Amino acid sequence: MGQKEDVFLHLEAATPALRRYARALGVSMGTAAADDLVQTAIGRVAARLRAKELRDAEAVRLAAYQLLTALAREKLCGHPEAGFPPRRSALARGLADLPFEERAALLLVVLEGLSYDATAQVVHTPREAVVMRLMRARAALAPLDLRPSSAPHDGVRRGGAHLRVVK
Amino acid sequence: MDESELHALVDGELSAQRRREVEDHLLAHKEDAALVENWRRQNAALRAAFEPVAQETPPLSLRNAAARNAAALTPPIESGAIHWGRPSSSFRPARRFDEAKGGRDRRALIAAAALLLFTMLAGAALFLAPKVVSGRGGVRPPALSQSYVERADIAYATFAGDLRPAEFDAARKTELLAALLARIGFAYAPDLSSVGLRFMGGRLTPGLLRPAALLFYETAAGERVALYFERAEAEPAALTAPKPEQGLTAVEWRGAGVAFVLIGPLSPDKMQTSAERAAYEIVAPGVGGQ
Repeated sequence: MGQKEDVFLHLEAATPALRRYARALGVSMGTAAADDLVQTAIGRVAARLRAKELRDAEAVRLAAYQLLTALAREKLCGHPEAGFPPRRSALARGLADLPFEERAALLLVVLEGLSYDATAQVVHTPREAVVMRLMRARAALAPLDLRPSSAPHDGVRRGGAHLRVVK
Repeated sequence: MDESELHALVDGELSAQRRREVEDHLLAHKEDAALVENWRRQNAALRAAFEPVAQETPPLSLRNAAARNAAALTPPIESGAIHWGRPSSSFRPARRFDEAKGGRDRRALIAAAALLLFTMLAGAALFLAPKVVSGRGGVRPPALSQSYVERADIAYATFAGDLRPAEFDAARKTELLAALLARIGFAYAPDLSSVGLRFMGGRLTPGLLRPAALLFYETAAGERVALYFERAEAEPAALTAPKPEQGLTAVEWRGAGVAFVLIGPLSPDKMQTSAERAAYEIVAPGVGGQ
């Protein structure tokens, strides 16, 4: 039984990362809605834990990402672009403009540090498809002016002057 | 060079050897190096934008969400179930005896956690066994030379092979429950479809001290699993390991003053999962489902 509780602890420890992922994945849906998704996902992972379907910490983590991704997909595909706040950073806007599957692949690899194989498992798709989505997502975001936040945007640098043709 | 190799470099997916080769390639090809540089900036920007979320204290609704989920639905079967499996049944009795002696604290803890859901029923189930063991001392009623598991085993062997094992089939569930309630004083036919077991029907069968129920379930492959239950307020548990027939696994537990045995030919893991599901369904129908 001790081992089982440990697995619940792993789930709890993963909560901040799940929130980070949900917030980025549902960048157009707002904080509260993203947290709702996390809560639902945790509930479902816990149910799978009780059903003894998940044996170790890594399986728990991947299942949580998988359920969260599925929930976000369901929600966002039902109401695309629902009430996106007009004034957001270029990055948030760029992310929101990505197709859902490309955004998920990009965030799982870059933000959550999952390997290509783990990402493929989470989104139920072959590894090659993950790489393709990643490539398309990066190409779509490439024109954005994404300086590290230590160099804040001044109001003048905007618009077409900084668009670069990448390929 | 294939573009996917450049992505693999940025994402740390290359072997050390390949990584050196790709980096050498970048030195010679400025346009590819610019791509990689751009993606690394993207990565940094993404992490900078969302990392603060992971550093925040999660809202109340999410704090301890996992722990709450764990505590709220701790399966009642963990509170005192004995798993009479084939592989290791020889040392089960010792474990069982230890639990009866030292299990009170753990039981009380689990009861506290599950209290919201299982108030009266859980209470009755949890405190029954220790009280009885200490109260009765060494005196055991002669009827208990047999255990519930052995009884369930015989009942299973008698009826499971029949073409129509159930006296009342699934369509006559209401009648079955009425009959069980009248004769046993307890009637419930848990829905086990979530663990792949279809309810076939049930029957009355002779128990150890009074009439018992035998409910049959069937897997998609046609394997039959039986749930045996009999009222058991005052009996101490048997202290010798019963020997279910070769190829069968039995899981025994108590709840609400009733002894339950789930017996069937499935794997021990599968039997345990099914028994937990049944215990859930009986105490809190429809809760904790997926």
